Amino acid sequence: MNSAINTAGAGLGTAGALAVCTALVATAAPARVRPVVGSVGTALTGAAGVAAGIAAVAGQSMSVTLPGVLPLSGVSWTLDALGGLFIAVTGAVAVAGSVYAISYTRSHGLESRGVQAVFPLFVAAMLVVPAAASVGTLLVCWELMALTSLLLVLAEHRQRDEVTDAGRWYAVMTHLGFLAILAGLLTFAAHAGDDSFAALRRAAHTMPPWVAGVVFVATLIGFGSKAGIVPLHAWLARAHPEAPSHVSALMSAGMVNLGIYGIIRVGQDLLGGGPRWWWLLVLALGAVSAVYGILQAAMSTDLKRLLGQSTTENMGLVLVGVGAAGLFATAGQQVLAGLALGAALLHVINHAAFKSLLFLAAGSVLRATGTRDLDNLGGLRAGMPITTGLFGWGALAASALPPGTAFVSEWLLLQALIHGLPSSGGVTSTVTAIAMPVAVAAVALTAGLAVATFIKAFGVGFLAKPRTEAAAQARESPPLMLAGMGLAAAASVVLAVLPGVVLPGIGSAVAAAGVGGESGSARAAAGVVTLRLVGVTGALSPLVLVLALLGASLLTAGVVRAVTAGRVGGARRVARLWDCGGGPLSSRMEYTATSFAEPLQRVFDDVVAPETDVDVDHHEESRYLVRTVEYRRRVPDRIEQRLYQPLLKAVAAWGVAGRGLASGSVHRYLGYGFYTVCALLLLLAVTR
Amino acid sequence: MTETLYVQLLDLACGGLLLGAVLVLWRRELSVIIRMFAAQGVALAALVAVLAAHQRSVDLWVVAVGLLILRASVLPLLLARALTAAGPARRETRPLVNVAASLLAAAVLALLAYAVSRPLVALAPSPATQAIPVGVTVVLIGFFVLVTRRRALSQLVGFLLMDNGITTVGFLTTASVSLVVELGVSLDVLLAVLVLRILTARIQETFGDADLDELAELHD
Amino acid sequence: MTALGVVGGIAQPVLIVAGSPVLVGVMRQVRAHLEGRAGAGVGQPWRDLRKLFGKEAITPAGTSEMFRAAPLAQVATTLVVALAAPFVTTDSALGVISDLFAVVALLAMGTTVLALAGLDTATAFGGMGASREMTIIALVEPTLLVAIFALSVRVGSTNLTDIVSATLHDPARVASPVSLLAAVALVVVVVAETGRLPVDNPSTHLELTMVHEAMVLEYAGPDLALVELAAATRLAVFLGLLANLFLPWGIATELTPIALAVGILALVVKVGVLGAALAAAEVFMAKLRLFRVPELLAGSFLLALLAVAASFFLA
Repeated sequence: MNSAINTAGAGLGTAGALAVCTALVATAAPARVRPVVGSVGTALTGAAGVAAGIAAVAGQSMSVTLPGVLPLSGVSWTLDALGGLFIAVTGAVAVAGSVYAISYTRSHGLESRGVQAVFPLFVAAMLVVPAAASVGTLLVCWELMALTSLLLVLAEHRQRDEVTDAGRWYAVMTHLGFLAILAGLLTFAAHAGDDSFAALRRAAHTMPPWVAGVVFVATLIGFGSKAGIVPLHAWLARAHPEAPSHVSALMSAGMVNLGIYGIIRVGQDLLGGGPRWWWLLVLALGAVSAVYGILQAAMSTDLKRLLGQSTTENMGLVLVGVGAAGLFATAGQQVLAGLALGAALLHVINHAAFKSLLFLAAGSVLRATGTRDLDNLGGLRAGMPITTGLFGWGALAASALPPGTAFVSEWLLLQALIHGLPSSGGVTSTVTAIAMPVAVAAVALTAGLAVATFIKAFGVGFLAKPRTEAAAQARESPPLMLAGMGLAAAASVVLAVLPGVVLPGIGSAVAAAGVGGESGSARAAAGVVTLRLVGVTGALSPLVLVLALLGASLLTAGVVRAVTAGRVGGARRVARLWDCGGGPLSSRMEYTATSFAEPLQRVFDDVVAPETDVDVDHHEESRYLVRTVEYRRRVPDRIEQRLYQPLLKAVAAWGVAGRGLASGSVHRYLGYGFYTVCALLLLLAVTR
Repeated sequence: MTETLYVQLLDLACGGLLLGAVLVLWRRELSVIIRMFAAQGVALAALVAVLAAHQRSVDLWVVAVGLLILRASVLPLLLARALTAAGPARRETRPLVNVAASLLAAAVLALLAYAVSRPLVALAPSPATQAIPVGVTVVLIGFFVLVTRRRALSQLVGFLLMDNGITTVGFLTTASVSLVVELGVSLDVLLAVLVLRILTARIQETFGDADLDELAELHD
Repeated sequence: MTALGVVGGIAQPVLIVAGSPVLVGVMRQVRAHLEGRAGAGVGQPWRDLRKLFGKEAITPAGTSEMFRAAPLAQVATTLVVALAAPFVTTDSALGVISDLFAVVALLAMGTTVLALAGLDTATAFGGMGASREMTIIALVEPTLLVAIFALSVRVGSTNLTDIVSATLHDPARVASPVSLLAAVALVVVVVAETGRLPVDNPSTHLELTMVHEAMVLEYAGPDLALVELAAATRLAVFLGLLANLFLPWGIATELTPIALAVGILALVVKVGVLGAALAAAEVFMAKLRLFRVPELLAGSFLLALLAVAASFFLA
């Protein structure tokens, strides 16, 4: 048992201790003070986590083993660069979310002991999962994270019924995922004989391929369901809208990353790479999730559901990068593998920044208007200018347009995919030659749909005129909520303009995952102002791009002002909108989110398959006179309908059939036991 | 004591155990069943006493006395009291499997027990381990009684038979017995009986009958 | 950033901004001649711009800064692309952003801000234009990126300067199936992105058929001038990219006055010919209804995918 205490270890330990203390204090504090105490404590926990993560990424690693804490296996933690990266991301999101939560909890009635005490524990659980160094530790921390997040999702179950339904879905799916992870890791540990990660790493070389395949697929299912990958994404679109907004931000920007962490850790680090079909599977799942997720988001009119489905999309993109990295690694192209994995990890960080911003802004909207439905919002920029600006930046960051945050990581990902073809020095194989263009096409379609989705969310929700009274009376959020959003926005701005600051850290994380070879630092790209790709040709400077855009805008504005002799830029006359001569336009004539997405829905009709209901109410006198017509249109989740409903029906049928066993006769029940025992004994007697 | 005396006494005690079990299966009057159970308790105590004398262990003597008190006196007393509280019905109503078939089943179970116990016996052959099949038979017969009797009291007796059998096997196989374990197990059994007795009384009050078949109507 | 690049960085934006209305004028004139009309003359777009710049600046009721800033943003993005991409010179003033992905994304950004402005007007037409434009953009992206993939595979880089230089050094590459397929795919992309027939009719007056025009229905005066200028420069930039990616001969590779003059002349000629050809083709085409456009874009996607496959299998 070695215990090297350094900044990394101290940071993580402080985080854990702070979380527990905050939970205890929050339980004891009076209701007025509770939100502040809870949120401040969680913010400090997050900050400690960030410190620990950055220290780990910078090279300090830590190992602690406590044999007595858990029965049979004890707990052991090892902090390396890969885990440190995820810990830093989670901690940063926790800081922004907690600052936001100080005001948010008060306005939403979330001061109950349960929520305030569980919140820091949730953050702490998320912080320790990437540091787990044995199967038992990982499973315990994973389950702790799942339970605390479940309690937080159910925080508002008294106010709305959908919360209970969402909680149920989440509980079942997260535990099914847990079972899958359990099965996979226990198979691995059984083969290795010991459950510490070091032993698993050693034993990976001697495992028969089919056992390794089973382990990988089981853990992929479990971790993939946590990351919200199709077809196990159903919980995400349900749980994220119903959870309180800062919890949604943490779940979407912190918890789903841990699914990715698990896949990288088990697939690349512990199992040591593996055959090609694993990573093709990951790539395929990622591509399908990306396209399906953003398609669902494009159809969605619920703001938070849209953001949740966008998380599925982004995690799909990350998995595309992870899968490509694995593919390149199995083919021996270590430079490309490092590039692809670096792109994936950069996208994880970028996604955390802009998704937390977007969720927090959505929470502000919910608080100000009481609704999440985009079709009932609009015109918020008049009453909530700062939130509108922040959401606008978040929307730009989320759509892969320059100078946004996601543009840089998608550029890096596309570079990795493009250089993967043999003619450009990549991998020589037919499979890759087919997979790479399809992956590029999927990423491109995702990017295009993402632009459409976020334009819809921003344009319909925040611009134009208010569509309802509630939207018209929206007022700006309190300063602490703005501060929380500002933190996330600042982070995403830095990542958009100077992504080079996180690239060295990403390089260390990639090296810690065992990818990228021994050639130096396994960096994807070097340079702070200009990203220059290592090992392949390619360079991009987001900073220069932003500066060029600003310069061009100023130049244009100056020229226009000179040309129009100063008339533009002064007070402008207000003119009437073009209404075809039919009188002033009302807000009913505005395009809604549903109508905005309608062309896309028609194009993708086969995949999306909306359901329409028309109810016509006639007058009593005559069927030719219509009193009301009600039109309802729903875009269901096709995969849920096709995959989940039959499964649930089968399980229910099985349950009903099983009731036949419960005939009520005590003798029969006892008989089951008796016959089983006799049969077993007979079997024993015969086979011995 | 000499080896032959030891072996004879051992076999006698085991025979008593087996006889008690078979009689519980054979007879239908509840009071007789309880008396047979008490007799079996005495046989079990005698078995442990023989082992104690052979091994010259004070612990085992203590256990033997404890068994005598618990399984030959306290438990049958509790069961008798439950019987008086149960009302006029003193006989076992038609069991699920009629008596002849039950006895045949007991024979089959005995054969099964012998087949299963052979590896155990082969592991460490000694007069004590030779008697293991008897214990396993008692367990299986007890289980059978539990499954096929309609009256709650008979089922309780079946359950207690199982426990007797398990205790027998335990004592015959282990070299030294843990007093704590035996105490714990006995306490469990006592508790189970008390709880079951209360339950039976409640069922009696609510439904007027302790016939478990009537309870089948409760399922939906 | 070499001297050649700096000179190019000054010459290209000026040339493109000054020349794009002329290009639009030429295209309209070609159309007019083919349709048997006299046409308004090649200089009419510049006359229109001058007229519009002289008008009063207004703001429609209920719109916000987004509406006023959108034309500026669109012109700015197109200017940056004009600065960064190799049109007159192979070296670019801002070489670190002359990446094909960045250029394409910048141009998409320009369209996006205009869509937001369309939504900001709170009119049904604005929303309609924005919604249609976003659908087309979403469906064009896969084709565009896969076509870029096909182009960059041989060169090993997505840097525009590298691609143009590689084609200059190896002219036979242009006639390969990869290039031809990618070229056809990119032509369809250019048509979709610049809003020409058969995807969108730039000279329509029927609001219900509009895509780009519907978004800018509320613009007037100097704002409309900027929007028209932005549309013209986008067209010039797209055609220039198309020309130089596949037919880069004439581009200036060294810093001599002759080379620069030849570069400018070559760009003017190539873009002019392409524009005239596009205009001539438009005369014979009708606008596709919106829900037929995805079929067209799917066809171009298939061509781009085949281009990539060819680059592997015929390598």
